[in-house]
Amino acid sequence: MSAPKIPNLLSLPGGPRSRGGRGRGRGRSAGDPDHGNAGGSARNRKDLDIQSTDTDAAVSRLSAVTLGYLHDPYASLFVAGVGTRRLPIINRGTYTRTTALDILINAFLSHSDPDQPQTKQIISLGAGTDTRYFRLRSQSKHHNLIYHEFDFPTVSETKRRTVLGNLLLSKLNEDEALFPDPRHPPPNQVSDWGFTQSKNGRSETTYCCHPLDLRQLPYTQPPHEFHSLKTDIPTLIISECCLCYLEVDNSRDVVKWFVDRVPSLGIVLYEPIGVDDSFGQVMVANLAARGITMPSLRSYKTLLDQKSRLGEHGFTYESGGQEAETVEKIWEQWIPAPEKERVDSLEGLDEVEEWQMLARHYAVVWGWRGNSGWEGWRDLRTTPAPPPS
Amino acid sequence: MSDLDRAIAQLRACRPIPEAQVRELCHKARELLIEEGNVVTVTAPVTICGDIHGQFHDLMELFRVGGDVPDTNYLFMGDFVDRGFYSLESFLLLLCLKVRYPDRMTLIRGNHESRQITTVYGFYDECLRKYGSANVWRYCCEVFDYLALGAIVLGASSTLEPSKQKVTAPSSSLTSTQEYLDPDIEIEVLSSDGGIVKRFPRQKTVKTVGGAKGSSPAKTGAPGTGASGSSGGSVGNPGGAVLCVHGGLSPLIDTVDKIRLLDRKQEVPHEGAMCDLLWSDPDEIDGWGLSPRGAGFLFGADIVKVFNHANDLSLIARAHQLVMEGFKEMFDASIVTVWSAPNYCYRCGNVAAILELGEDGSGEGIISRSNGEVNRSDGGITGLLKEKEKVLLSGPARRYRVFQAAPQDSRGMPAKKPQVEYFL
Repeated sequence: MSAPKIPNLLSLPGGPRSRGGRGRGRGRSAGDPDHGNAGGSARNRKDLDIQSTDTDAAVSRLSAVTLGYLHDPYASLFVAGVGTRRLPIINRGTYTRTTALDILINAFLSHSDPDQPQTKQIISLGAGTDTRYFRLRSQSKHHNLIYHEFDFPTVSETKRRTVLGNLLLSKLNEDEALFPDPRHPPPNQVSDWGFTQSKNGRSETTYCCHPLDLRQLPYTQPPHEFHSLKTDIPTLIISECCLCYLEVDNSRDVVKWFVDRVPSLGIVLYEPIGVDDSFGQVMVANLAARGITMPSLRSYKTLLDQKSRLGEHGFTYESGGQEAETVEKIWEQWIPAPEKERVDSLEGLDEVEEWQMLARHYAVVWGWRGNSGWEGWRDLRTTPAPPPS
Repeated sequence: MSDLDRAIAQLRACRPIPEAQVRELCHKARELLIEEGNVVTVTAPVTICGDIHGQFHDLMELFRVGGDVPDTNYLFMGDFVDRGFYSLESFLLLLCLKVRYPDRMTLIRGNHESRQITTVYGFYDECLRKYGSANVWRYCCEVFDYLALGAIVLGASSTLEPSKQKVTAPSSSLTSTQEYLDPDIEIEVLSSDGGIVKRFPRQKTVKTVGGAKGSSPAKTGAPGTGASGSSGGSVGNPGGAVLCVHGGLSPLIDTVDKIRLLDRKQEVPHEGAMCDLLWSDPDEIDGWGLSPRGAGFLFGADIVKVFNHANDLSLIARAHQLVMEGFKEMFDASIVTVWSAPNYCYRCGNVAAILELGEDGSGEGIISRSNGEVNRSDGGITGLLKEKEKVLLSGPARRYRVFQAAPQDSRGMPAKKPQVEYFL
């Protein structure tokens, strides 16, 4: 074959965009039963695509745990089969993201006066199969804490079954109990579930999963109240790649719902940024090929955009604080040198340039308003650990 | 049609060949490669390519843009495998072409041509998936051990000839064949259809070794090239020898002859000269530095200039690092990175490039192809340059062809929809 006989695919009619798989999107092929019924089922398909990202995260977490990046005895319980080994840059990313959130959450949970601990609350949005609450339990950091998770009813139900089916997850202390009682399940499948603890003769909720399509949250009005959700204690919202899947107005309203109710409130966002360069554009196309769109990418392109997003909700320097950092910087500046050396030695990481590019496109953004309960965060600022000299 | 030609046709269609045939091919390839020295001597014209990483469809695009084998001579600087979905087909096709046209194909070893790295980065899994056993992976790894560590290109022209490769171009754009060529053009950048993107004339300043440290001249090169066209002026033809190596230099290697003395027929070691050649990177530092990759070193402009001067080199061509523009010249054009995997890992959004070095037509650079025994004949280059010792060699004229990723699901080849990983 001589070179001129090799067809130039880029100049063929239609061009690569309309020929490639990415242009077709899912759910529009002829044999698709969802096709032609553009209303509910197309949306349902999209929801399933987004829920599949949780499986992605669970598999990535197990990969990082199996290889020794992270310690998480619960990771394997949420993955069917033996899992898939991820590439070193993905493992390093999973490690860095998890460690960054650990640092922020541990700082939030730290008490300025250990003798008089203040009860705090965490609300994990789109928690999916996240094992964080169980990890906090194993480190005895769950005392004086109410931990909430919100996710789709199907996701929540799957998690409930996994928890009930594994003693490692459902073995509680003597003063603790599961609700609703597994021996007498309520007829209504879609119900809140979690753990309670008896304190001074009273039963208090410590862990609660709320089966809810988050997009409906802004339309939830009093008198409806969420089980055990408190508004008068320092509360941290976590969105680990969750709000980025919602339409921007919708995600703004979700945060506003909490802002309107909880005076002492903080938020941690972990999501991609930097859609304007060629890496970002390929990312958008690749995700679209999986049926995934991230509206946040268009509105919050830089760390600065993310900070003004926090500002809109009143998470400002004046009322508390706001910070934003890329995963690249977090790896460089937050991970102490000996730990970096340990992590590097697990697999070796050849793809330095690719790592930097990938890690530059993910941001950890956090802000808070209110005085009491945020001392740990005030001391953090952007560099919790001094960079190695 | 011979068995080999049949295998080539099958691999060109991106279909793996049977295990028994792989075994035979690898055996033949080893017999061929064992005769090559650690540093293969190649004469211009030659097209130098960087990392491929199993992106088979993009390798076909490379051949379309650069000319097919055997019409064009190629030198691939390693990293044929891992990361992409078609490491097997890509490497076996290149190997078939090497066996079929040994003098027109040069393959040197990259850091991914290693047992240890391929078990982490995908080639091992791919072989297992496609053949049900690790045999083919094992045969390929045995070939890896015999790949040369570097190549020296001799007889490259210091002026650009009109592009020989006439590519089918959209009628409106100029192709390089249609335009008058200024003899003083040092660098030309062409698009994949042959249209001229940019040209850079040779500068007439003379620089001496060690003189310009820390005070690099105003950059005049293409974006991402850093080229400033330092030129020895009257050195003229030939353009000086070009050393090709996957990664870069080693603190243990101060002459090319020291590379020739290494025992290369082994797995890539974790340290030492052989490891450094495949792992090191140039960087904006003085001297040597620790590499963030955990193997090899970082080396600065001073190291490159001293090495090039001591070895009568005008340029080092290397691969190993992703560069978004496909190529990047550094340190007054004394070293260039060539990257040939567009949209690397189906994720990075970069373009790719290949580097064409033309044949010196002046008759001054007559070089016999010798496969690099120690103290080889240097083709008279050393003698020619002795009186110019203090002058940095003029670089050869360089034509870069830049190309984009080929769509996956066409050309009638099987294609896997890339399921690219992100943090979700």
